[in-house]
Amino acid sequence: MKFMIVGSGGREHAIAENAKKCGYDVYAATEIRNPGLLETCKEVHLVDILNGEAVCRMAGKLRPDLIFIGSEESLFAGVSDALRREGHTVIGASKATADIEKSKGFMRRLMEKHGLYGRLRFKTFNNIEEASRYIDEYAGSVAIKPTRQAGGKGVKVIADLQAYLKDEKSAAKKRHVSDIVNQKLSQDLEDPILIEERVEGIEYTLQCFTDGKNIVPLKVVEDHPHAFVEDIGPETGGMGSISGVGNNLPFLTDKDFKISYEIVENVIKAIKKETGESYFGVLSGQFMLTDKWGPTVIEFYSRLGDPETVNIMPQLQNFDEIMEGMQNGSLKGIKADFERKATVVKVVAPKGYPNERDIGKGHILNMDMDKINKTGSKVYFGSVYEDDGKYYTGGSRALEVYAAADSIVEANEKVEKAISCISSDWKLFHRKDIGTKALLEKRMDQANLARDIFHYREERGLIGKNIDWIPGIGRIET
Amino acid sequence: MAGVCGIYAFDEIWNVSRFVYYQLIAIQSRGQESFGMSISDFKDVRSANGKGTIQESLESYEVNELLGCCGVGGVSTRDVNGYISDDIAIYFDGSVKITEEAVQKLRMDLGNMPEKEAVRSFLDGLSGAYSMVILTKEKMIATRDKLGVKPLVIGGVGFDLAVVASETSALDVIGAELSRDIEPGEIVVIDRHYIEEIKAEKRPPCANCIFEYVYMARIDSKINGIYIHEIRNRIGKLLAKQNPVEADVVIGVPETAIPFAMAYSNESKIPLDIGFMRTGKVTRTAIKPTQMERMIGVQLKLNPVRTAVRGKRVVLIDDSVVRGTTMRNIVNLLRKRGAKEVHVRICSPKLISPCPFGTEVPTKDELIAVDNTEYEIASIIDADSFAYISVDDLVNVLGGDGYCSGCMTGNYPEVD
Repeated sequence: MKFMIVGSGGREHAIAENAKKCGYDVYAATEIRNPGLLETCKEVHLVDILNGEAVCRMAGKLRPDLIFIGSEESLFAGVSDALRREGHTVIGASKATADIEKSKGFMRRLMEKHGLYGRLRFKTFNNIEEASRYIDEYAGSVAIKPTRQAGGKGVKVIADLQAYLKDEKSAAKKRHVSDIVNQKLSQDLEDPILIEERVEGIEYTLQCFTDGKNIVPLKVVEDHPHAFVEDIGPETGGMGSISGVGNNLPFLTDKDFKISYEIVENVIKAIKKETGESYFGVLSGQFMLTDKWGPTVIEFYSRLGDPETVNIMPQLQNFDEIMEGMQNGSLKGIKADFERKATVVKVVAPKGYPNERDIGKGHILNMDMDKINKTGSKVYFGSVYEDDGKYYTGGSRALEVYAAADSIVEANEKVEKAISCISSDWKLFHRKDIGTKALLEKRMDQANLARDIFHYREERGLIGKNIDWIPGIGRIET
Repeated sequence: MAGVCGIYAFDEIWNVSRFVYYQLIAIQSRGQESFGMSISDFKDVRSANGKGTIQESLESYEVNELLGCCGVGGVSTRDVNGYISDDIAIYFDGSVKITEEAVQKLRMDLGNMPEKEAVRSFLDGLSGAYSMVILTKEKMIATRDKLGVKPLVIGGVGFDLAVVASETSALDVIGAELSRDIEPGEIVVIDRHYIEEIKAEKRPPCANCIFEYVYMARIDSKINGIYIHEIRNRIGKLLAKQNPVEADVVIGVPETAIPFAMAYSNESKIPLDIGFMRTGKVTRTAIKPTQMERMIGVQLKLNPVRTAVRGKRVVLIDDSVVRGTTMRNIVNLLRKRGAKEVHVRICSPKLISPCPFGTEVPTKDELIAVDNTEYEIASIIDADSFAYISVDDLVNVLGGDGYCSGCMTGNYPEVD
């Protein structure tokens, strides 16, 4: 089978590798000379992957049997639609259905309209003044985000629980709203600013293949969005991720998994109702276990997660069965088959990521591959390009180092050994704490705390309800 | 005695001066004679400092004038511990001496070599115990001496702020999540682009100040992984078991001794009552600098509640006895209000030796426990009976080892 992958990062490297393992001839349409894709693929073509025509031209010459679009920006740009018009078989949401990821406004309105489980109160704004006025009037704990998917950029979660710091927080919220607009993080949407209620808890990702009717859920993975150790620092696209031995994470219950799965199922139905199009490709739910709902939707991805793909792909035994199901248009009766191993993936990023990526560009990466292989780990290439046999950083997350073992803690030890074999003339950083016993225990505590409050709310019939009491007005239930 | 704190925003939308201000209020119990805070806007370091408590001495507009997205601060029982200039500010809790020459060298080194080497070289020139925060125009550095005598924790707020402080209470007050204790000998460098944790390659056994657990730290804090409330509860119970007495009421000396008194009461089944009302602000009498102020402190602070003690046999719980003067006054106050018997129980071991690490334990000739037995002390302070908890028992309650109990034993860890 001729298999074509569209995208340039560690996610695509991991997908391509599994495709190759299945005996496919793998071709890549990519923006940079990613060393992982260069090594894995039969041919690598440098193409503007946001340009449907360009990708169609390449596919027209190549005539692949199956095209897998890894990158969300390609989906937002309508590349899957363009390819389908040319008669190609494509795994990847259409432009209209990919709005579930591209616009959090679309996603939140859809959940609200269809009364879906795990929704949050929100408002979107089309200008700074309106959003600032709302901040003045509604001085609560909120998350302020670009409405558009911006790769983790521009997300602020501000708890406003200390009356004595209210002015400082209000000022920061307003400055941030201006930043979202001025930095054009959301520019192709009418309502670029999203303010939603703040929730707290542990985040996890449930990635699913779907043909629009049938769903194949993959292992649940936990990403770590904070840039620095101990969950400190700015939001990133993800600095590392873990998965358990079985299909669920140690701190989630079967019920948490089931509810999350049902949310994905219902969202697929709602998208069909709303857009008239069937969802075909990958839909990933980025959830948070909160005290409000238990599983609560933070966002959806219209593709596999990054770095979450790297936890999944090396372990997924029947990738070919899923791919061929998608090729035939039906996933009926197919279940994902995984090795029973825990995995840890850690991102190595250059100094400058995530807030000043330009300074992290073009620095050489030295890797002792023999030593790394001996640790039992594997390096997936993200924002790295090859030039004259040498590897250079592209400014974003450079490497995703993966290992599997009988426990998360053991997998972490392998990954840490491998990372010690990587160096640069520039400062690199990664999160040492991911996959350690201490952090896992902390997650367990956080999960139990959220569940205790959630159970109280469940017993009182308060799930998903917001009850406020406002002096002079009285009780308001929404 | 002193406390330090600091906060670093990864994004310039934040102005942190008021955050530092509230952090300082949260650690004010560690030193009420002076305070200082310094804020950087990546161009200049600006500072405000003064005598007394920050709430009394610093006007709101003075805080607002300090604009910037990173800042540090300190409180102390003496003149403020540290160093302030327009490009570098240092605050510490401990016993080191910071000279102009040392800071000048640090300044040069920071420009010429990796910051971890510059800071290491600066710290190698210091002798003594310290938990320290250093603010440069663009970075915040937090560090602890190799013995870990003084506490220091790190945490964060959302995706925005990194926070350090002597006690977790200064994290709670601004809504930060505790991450962990900074390790003895560790240097943490916080920059806009990274957090670097440089752990000590080899270090002597830990010597956490034991006085923190019984007296210094706030009851809502967690120090070196130990919840203070839990420890004081266990000490109070142990004291009740070891030194029982027939009595009608247990009362504690506000504020620190109240939790001990509650635990003593729970264990002994003798009812707890509110024995004193406080007048004026909270002052910690053991750390007031002069004898006269101590007298005023006691009289202003503690007014016995007559009906709680009149005609009763009273167990009086306090956290420590230094010179005995305060305790004698309190016992006399209770007797004048009609207490039939007064049995004093102290929740820390005897203090017999001064502290070389910056805690104001007076010299030996000012310490009542140095040459008086418990029976003798009872006679001096006019109590019917008097008892301490022992050092061994305190260590047992805390569990494990790794404490400096020099003020209670006279044995001090080696410092280089």
